[in-house]
Amino acid sequence: MSVRGTHIPEHLRLPIAGVTPPPTEKEGQRLFPTGNFRFFRPVYRDKTPPCNHACPTGEQIQKYLDFVKHDRYLDGYLTILEDNPMPSVTGRVCYHPCETACNRAAHDEPIGIRSVERFLGDFGLNLEENPIKKDLPPLNGKTVAIVGSGPGGLACAYHLRRKGYASVIFEALDSAGGMLRAGIPAWHLPEEVLDKEIAKLTGLGGIEIRCGVRVGSDPGGITLDHLRTGYDAVFLALGQDVGRRLDVEGGRSRGVLGALEFLRETGLGRPVKVGRNVLVIGGGNTASDAARSAVRLGGGEATIVSLESEDELLIVPEDLEQAREEGVRFRPQHSLVRVIADGEGNVTGAVLCQARLAKDENGNVRPQISEGTEFEVPCDTILIAIGQVQVLDWLPESFTERGLVKADEYGRVPDDSEAVFAGGDVMRGPSMVVDALGDGKRAARDIDRVLSAQPLEPDGPVEVMPYERLNTAYFRHAPRTPVPLTPAGTRSKSQKVEVTLAYSREEAVAEADRCMSCGVCNGCDNCYIVCPDISVMRDARENGRYSIRTHYCKGCLVCVQECPTGCLEKVPELDFDEPDAVVRMETAFAPYDGAHAEQAPFTRQLIEDAIAEYDRSKTVQPNGRGVTP
Amino acid sequence: MHHELTVWSRGIIMDKEARDVSTCIATAARKLGYHAENVSDYVDDPDRTNCLVRRYARFADTPILDRFVYENPHPDWVVLVEETIIKAVNFFRGTEDGSGVLVVNSARDPGYLLKFLPDAMTKKLNKLVVVDAVGLAEQRGGSPWMFVRDLSELAFDRMSTEGAVERLAIGMGIAAPLIGALVAATGELPIDEVASVVADRDAMLRGAEQHKVIQYASA
Repeated sequence: MSVRGTHIPEHLRLPIAGVTPPPTEKEGQRLFPTGNFRFFRPVYRDKTPPCNHACPTGEQIQKYLDFVKHDRYLDGYLTILEDNPMPSVTGRVCYHPCETACNRAAHDEPIGIRSVERFLGDFGLNLEENPIKKDLPPLNGKTVAIVGSGPGGLACAYHLRRKGYASVIFEALDSAGGMLRAGIPAWHLPEEVLDKEIAKLTGLGGIEIRCGVRVGSDPGGITLDHLRTGYDAVFLALGQDVGRRLDVEGGRSRGVLGALEFLRETGLGRPVKVGRNVLVIGGGNTASDAARSAVRLGGGEATIVSLESEDELLIVPEDLEQAREEGVRFRPQHSLVRVIADGEGNVTGAVLCQARLAKDENGNVRPQISEGTEFEVPCDTILIAIGQVQVLDWLPESFTERGLVKADEYGRVPDDSEAVFAGGDVMRGPSMVVDALGDGKRAARDIDRVLSAQPLEPDGPVEVMPYERLNTAYFRHAPRTPVPLTPAGTRSKSQKVEVTLAYSREEAVAEADRCMSCGVCNGCDNCYIVCPDISVMRDARENGRYSIRTHYCKGCLVCVQECPTGCLEKVPELDFDEPDAVVRMETAFAPYDGAHAEQAPFTRQLIEDAIAEYDRSKTVQPNGRGVTP
Repeated sequence: MHHELTVWSRGIIMDKEARDVSTCIATAARKLGYHAENVSDYVDDPDRTNCLVRRYARFADTPILDRFVYENPHPDWVVLVEETIIKAVNFFRGTEDGSGVLVVNSARDPGYLLKFLPDAMTKKLNKLVVVDAVGLAEQRGGSPWMFVRDLSELAFDRMSTEGAVERLAIGMGIAAPLIGALVAATGELPIDEVASVVADRDAMLRGAEQHKVIQYASA
């Protein structure tokens, strides 16, 4: 028999022997604030996913993957633009620290974040109008000078524009883009894409790029003092575009080129001659790019000679694999001893020897050469890719240290004006495009703070979600969607054909769907479904998309246990310092204070009489018998 | 002299601990020659995890007349086996003003806990005793939930066998330091005598030494 909804007369509502009569259904929850059962409270607390944390620009990757998953591409694109102005570029060339950090790697394979980013970036490039343009604030009259139109400079200008600042970018080359144009081959990043991205930035208004102006070194040209006096702040992002020389015998022969210079000339579309038998000295990404470009241009062979062993090569894995497919050869743990040239000074070969990578206590590379292992190889071109530097002699000495611009934790250069910042390769040495983009973003934020007289503050600590705290039972294993590639035979013959191709819409959605949303509520409804107490409400969003009815939640923590993303946490109830919000029950089960648990006077009298009688019976008489009344 | 002890705890997961506190106090009092009653299994035999449960004991040097009342009408000793109960319920119902000794198992600052008591309850408070029983107990398992029991033992309780049989000696785990703190703070029963009926004597003595007391009213 059901008692739900039964009306109980007032006089029967007293708890009888501690058993409370069932309340009416309407009153039930008011009478029993079962939240008092709880000593852990489920709380929605979003953490930082590892991808987001690993990205130097702080892209909210989980957020835009979620948008892509729901076919909301414009929202996804706008999410990227909050942190990164050029997703079409990074979607092609980024070395994706996000994918390296992705928790999904521990599950099956990391998400193809870069490819989804490229999908969104290309989606945005094809929009007729830049969607952020209408929301930009008007210019506030302050202008920032930026040296270098590479990723760092462009990102700084973009983020400054979003805050209302105008900027003037000084570029030494004839076209903007810095290393994006002059360092990254077109088969990685097509020129049209870069042009479009830059046009989108300059189209925002307030960003002026002056090409062909080399700050500092041109006689009678613009100097640092011009920038400091003529502008409200300065951002130095001039990169490192001078290849390091290798000091070996014959190193000046015709046919010995810096790999960077080689990539720059080809990138700018100038005629470059490269032989059919190319040696590339170096073990990093520049060496790989140079070797692959040499194969395309010369139609011959390229061999990468590196001190590093195969496992130590500093080339990103997919590039390494693609290079192998294109016929690039490797000669690891070798060093160039001298260059052999003919009578006219043309390179005809090189002497190599076995060597291995060693570092001194300062971390500088010191090759360890095995004596007596020298041998000759024929070649007609040698590309040197052993690092890069920048000419900084036009800067005050206090600005530089060990060939780099010196800066504090905010990227600020020690200068009296306190408004000179630096970022990118010129500050941190050779690093990724996305590092420079991140530096540009931070510099814009800090320049804004300096110019509006706010204190500079470091980023607060973040809690990064580890794989172990996910409820992985909810994530079926699904392989990563492979990125389409142009066949090696086709791509290795052209400087223009893109190697890595784009995801289709379906592929991008499928890949975004693999995201485990580490530590961030993605509204999966699981807590809402599993709660046995109807205490998870979906109508309001507190921190996640749900709210907990704390007066009734008994703290069974099923929702915490079953939260796939780990955004739900159990927090000790007493951590909530809100004494006024306490709903206190009068007793455990009885809501009323009444005659409960008192001995009735009549009963008490009976007991007292019985005890008195017993006591009397125990009073010992001289005859050994108890008293009888 | 007449004392009523009510132990508040959480159903199933900390139920045995509450029973152990009341049982040990009543047993020790009886051994010392007092009139004593222990109501360790009455009413609140829930098969529900976390729900509030009460265990009662009382002892006096005169016969106890409340023979047919199992729930203490005027508790002056109150033990909270789990700290959050401090904000859950009016555990001082029927307590006389300025006479309630409240023992809480908590690692928190006593002043912080006191904030959660309304005026009507602080009026009845004599002293607040805070003992980190979880920290002082013999460590078993990683969770304060299943602190003294492993899963199989807990499952045994889940079959509603509470009180029917005891799988563990009486006075183990977090019960022991709680008993120690209660006996030391009230001073009514000699510590050594009580310790002789507590299974985990060492933990009980640790609780007797390491607890914080806020004397709230001069009784």
